[in-house]
Amino acid sequence: MQMTSEMTPPGGAKVASPVFGNGMRANRLSTTKRGGKLVNDYWADLFRAKEEGKKIVWYNGTYIPPFFHAHDVAWVHGEAWAAYLAAKHGEMPAQQKGEARGYDRELCSYARTHIGQALIDLEKLKNGTLGIDDDDPRAETMRKLPAPDMIINAYPYCSSGQQWDDITYRLFGKKIPIFTISIPLLWGGRPDAGYMQGEEWQQRSQYVAKQLVAMTKFLEEHTGRKYDFDRLSEVMSYVKKAATLRMEAMDLCAATPAPASFFDWIVSIAHVNFLPGTQAIVDYFEDVKAEIQQRIADGVGAVPNEKYRLFFDGMMNWNKVGWLADKFAAVDATVVAGRYTHMSFWQEPQLVDLKNPVLGMAQNYLICPNNHGAPIMIGEIERVCDKFNIDGMVMHASRTCRGMTNSQFLIADSAKKKGRQAMFFEGDVADESFYKDELLNTRLEAMIETLEAKKRAA
Amino acid sequence: MLLDSTVSANPEGRLKDILAKFEAVAANPLEYARDFKRDSGKRVIGLFPMHFPGELAHAAGALPIVLQADDEPVTIGQGSVFNFYCGYNRSIVDQAMRGEFAFLDAILFGDHCVQLLGTADIIRDHLPDTPILFNQLISIIDAEWAMEETQGTFRQLWRELEDLTGEKISDDQVRHSIGIFNRNRALIRQIYDMRRAGRIALTGSQMQHIVKSSMIMDKETHTALLEELVAKLEAAPPANNAVRVYLSGHLCHAAKLPILDLVEECGGVVVDDDLYTGYRYIAADVEETGSPVDALSRWYLEKNKKIPCPTRADKDLDWEDFLLAQVDKSGAQGLIVLMVKFCEPHMYFYPEIKEAFERRGIPHLMIETEHEEMPMEALKTRMETFLEIAKRRVAA
Ligand code: SF4
Ligand code: SF4
Repeated sequence: MQMTSEMTPPGGAKVASPVFGNGMRANRLSTTKRGGKLVNDYWADLFRAKEEGKKIVWYNGTYIPPFFHAHDVAWVHGEAWAAYLAAKHGEMPAQQKGEARGYDRELCSYARTHIGQALIDLEKLKNGTLGIDDDDPRAETMRKLPAPDMIINAYPYCSSGQQWDDITYRLFGKKIPIFTISIPLLWGGRPDAGYMQGEEWQQRSQYVAKQLVAMTKFLEEHTGRKYDFDRLSEVMSYVKKAATLRMEAMDLCAATPAPASFFDWIVSIAHVNFLPGTQAIVDYFEDVKAEIQQRIADGVGAVPNEKYRLFFDGMMNWNKVGWLADKFAAVDATVVAGRYTHMSFWQEPQLVDLKNPVLGMAQNYLICPNNHGAPIMIGEIERVCDKFNIDGMVMHASRTCRGMTNSQFLIADSAKKKGRQAMFFEGDVADESFYKDELLNTRLEAMIETLEAKKRAA
Repeated sequence: MLLDSTVSANPEGRLKDILAKFEAVAANPLEYARDFKRDSGKRVIGLFPMHFPGELAHAAGALPIVLQADDEPVTIGQGSVFNFYCGYNRSIVDQAMRGEFAFLDAILFGDHCVQLLGTADIIRDHLPDTPILFNQLISIIDAEWAMEETQGTFRQLWRELEDLTGEKISDDQVRHSIGIFNRNRALIRQIYDMRRAGRIALTGSQMQHIVKSSMIMDKETHTALLEELVAKLEAAPPANNAVRVYLSGHLCHAAKLPILDLVEECGGVVVDDDLYTGYRYIAADVEETGSPVDALSRWYLEKNKKIPCPTRADKDLDWEDFLLAQVDKSGAQGLIVLMVKFCEPHMYFYPEIKEAFERRGIPHLMIETEHEEMPMEALKTRMETFLEIAKRRVAA
């Protein structure tokens, strides 16, 4: 689930399509540019980590970096790395390498990219060369990713996320220690079940917390250093502040026109997902919030002429962030909120007790929106849609990500029952070949026409 | 009723009768289950593959049946499940929409495959009156806490089954059910042993009928038929010039019969398999003494050692090593991997298998199976070529 600064469209980017819509472009927040620098700093630090004598953890899944940060080990989020490569248009060699070994193109494209890149790295280790030409501009980046000293998997809900690391472990000849955390689905079938309540919620929270403590033992074992829980509290104090500011800033977007859009929140995910918990991320979200407040005062929207407000469901199409932001702007639609941005990444920061943060962290990991049974998840989606006054749902059917496509028909049905429009478009998380621009154009235009007719009738 | 016992006088006729009965149940599992419910007045509980033991539901007095994909094209299900999901999930969703599962008294879910988790929610939505006992089994089976967690899962399931029936389930009842299931598994394993040793001739399809019907039928009835079958099978030994192949893969549901039949049609013979609707389903027994929860938990956590499952995380086991050993053990001349299209766990682990077999120089053929029509002519050519290679490799 990731993002890098590269996805912010460079200034002067073309409109989504010269023949599509009215040619208007998204009015992106300016503070996110500074956010991009933080992301780049993170990667630069990571590429230096080995030289600085740090151990490296490769991990996948939920936002567990505070545990690594507090223990002074460097971390690589597999999904973030796949997205990073995609943003630098370096995903193709990795995906081809994976395909050559027999990984089917219908497999999670994050996993395929990451595994393919690991294959390239291994070849590099063997031959002393990269799998691509040395003068290829991508070579520089790819050469830099430090190999893992430990692998940790903490994937809520999606079995594919777990199997992916199983393969990484095998690719490295089973020589790198691996630790896997179970984050079981909150099915919500017991009579007392509800969002963050009931027996299942209590039991599962304790279960995940226990495993997180066991993970600190694993880190101790493989670094030879004692785990410092005070340090964890300190790191979490920044994360909690940043997350709280992010949620407050998001809430401000209930204003009309919405001062920021889903795409602004998309480029701000890295900061709460895997950047180090320091004052820098707090400052970042303070600035974002301030810019949003200023826009509200000035009556400025994320889309120049906001007429419709949409909700984005599904995994982001990482190669298309800027493209999609402009596409919606061109039909005067603001994508105000999304399942991926608004219902994940420390979205319940108040659960984290800084004196004893592990339980609240476990709980935030559990409430990854995919990890709820559909009735509770859909209840939460509706709550968000009501809060932001949403007219319609854009469902991204991301071809290789079943984790996020699973309940989409139920979500669309429920939206329709609530009087909201819903449309599907096809794409994928990191494999551009599944994206169908024409289909999106046609469906989006049709939905806008319906919304228009509804407005006229009202 | 599919199970009237018309008796043939001669042993070969009786052999055919029994196999025909298994085939009939396997072809129409829900019809069997509905008839059973009507005739016995007992509950029928649907189980989802691949790891839920039927023993607890049996001990609760119900007929547990493993829900199967059917041969119908996915039609009304299309509005509820994407076409990039495996055929099993799409078929199940379609059957649920068609009202096929309405007669079930409950459905037991609990696997880890992300696609099945989606199906669980769709079924909950479409069958609001059917109790869904959802208890997810831990998939990291070598975790320090795997035993405790699995015991908790089975205890919870036990309680939920008691709530469903309104009656206590005693340890003895569960032990009794375990014994019945063990006996059934042991008999099927015996058939597998005989086949591996080349003493009996059973096609891939016939073996599937045996296992699939065991997933559906009342276990004691099935066992009685198996006992007879075992005694009669040796009367018809196989021809010995066919190319011996091992079938692997096809998780969660039965492979389409025409695909299996291609093996024999093209001059091969199946000597062993690790298919779910095959040896995987009956590979491991549950202990019949001590605490049933502990016994079931050990069964769940250790059955991976019998046949590694790509949906479980287990650092020490490798599917490809297991397959190489099995191919050696059964004297197979080649491996046929049947892969359900869009099956992620299988897609992840297939390259490991492919490389291991290439390293060892053992021929293997990968066939991706689809719920919809398959291009059988092209497949036939591939199968013939593969068997020819396998034959030559041995001759060389
Ligand atoms: S399929 Fe989706 S949720 Fe699952 S590992 Fe891939 S990106 Fe993550
Ligand atoms: S394990 Fe494979 S066959 Fe089974 S439900 Fe999942 S994708 Fe389908």
